[in-house]
Amino acid sequence: MVLSGWEAVFFWVFSITALFMALLMIMARNAVHSALFLISTLVSVAALFVLAGAEFVAGAQVLVYIGGVMVLFLFVIMLVNVGAEERGKERLFNSNVQVTATAVLGLLLAFGLVYAINQGVKGINDSRRGDDLAQQRATEQRALPTSATGDMKITADTQRIGNSLYRYASLPFEIASLLLLVAIVGSVMLARTLKQEAAADDVDPEILKEAVAASEERAELESVSR
Amino acid sequence: MLNLLFPALAFFWQTGTGGRMSDVGNSVTHPDLSKFLVIGALLFIIGVAGVLTRRNIIVIFMSIELILNAANINFIAFSRYLQDMGNVNAVAGQVFTVFIIVVAAAEAAIGLGIVIALYRNKETIWVDEIDLLKW
Repeated sequence: MVLSGWEAVFFWVFSITALFMALLMIMARNAVHSALFLISTLVSVAALFVLAGAEFVAGAQVLVYIGGVMVLFLFVIMLVNVGAEERGKERLFNSNVQVTATAVLGLLLAFGLVYAINQGVKGINDSRRGDDLAQQRATEQRALPTSATGDMKITADTQRIGNSLYRYASLPFEIASLLLLVAIVGSVMLARTLKQEAAADDVDPEILKEAVAASEERAELESVSR
Repeated sequence: MLNLLFPALAFFWQTGTGGRMSDVGNSVTHPDLSKFLVIGALLFIIGVAGVLTRRNIIVIFMSIELILNAANINFIAFSRYLQDMGNVNAVAGQVFTVFIIVVAAAEAAIGLGIVIALYRNKETIWVDEIDLLKW
């Protein structure tokens, strides 16, 4: 695969945006800012997916990650109290030793990975470099059906993924749906309060009342001791 | 400092040229598979740094999402590369990416449920204060 022309320009724009926004994400003081920077990174990565010809995955990335997961993150940030962090009272990072060790490890990892990629792509026989590949893709794209407005081509990417998903990966697909079901039930289980828990289960109301009173008393004691 | 910086930058830029500096310009105007892999690797490293250094457990979760996305970039890049090479089964990389997105969504739901339960019991989101299992 070789990108050229405007594709190359947009590749660099989006990849540099993704890297900078990721760096800002791990350095932002406010957790909401972190979430917004992560959204920028994810949008840029989705654009990289489009450049690599994976339109369906780019759409899924925008819908699932940005529309679903990041909204969940923002909800949780608003549920927990991060005021101290915003006012600059709390330390943002771990101890200096840990940060230094991480920086050293990160640099080592970067050079190691880039060296490995360098060594690896030498073995890849990319004989059809350059513009003939782009020309071939352009002719392939001209053969695609035109959309109703007449100025776009309809990609066959989604169709191919659907074929592959239902023909060769139907069992993993079903397992994935089961996994999502377990995740839904599990997160509801984890996040509910004692009162909600007791109300849902078939518990003797007397015992329930005692348990709730005891937990409230404990919480009060803890807040007093703090 | 600059003496160190330029060889480091050249080291990154000559990725995929087989070490020939004369090909660096061409490799910038024609980014290929290796450039995608480098971007994925750098995003992965930033994610690892976030997991290792931050104290806020929610930001640690975001860094994990970043790591998963870096893996997705590699899958998509190899999928496109194999497609160009004429591999009939190249779309498998994209299918795998869809599964990774599913697993990431499930992981985020469970992880944030744990964060909420933790906050309710310990009233903290700083990971160095969650040390009940430490001795």
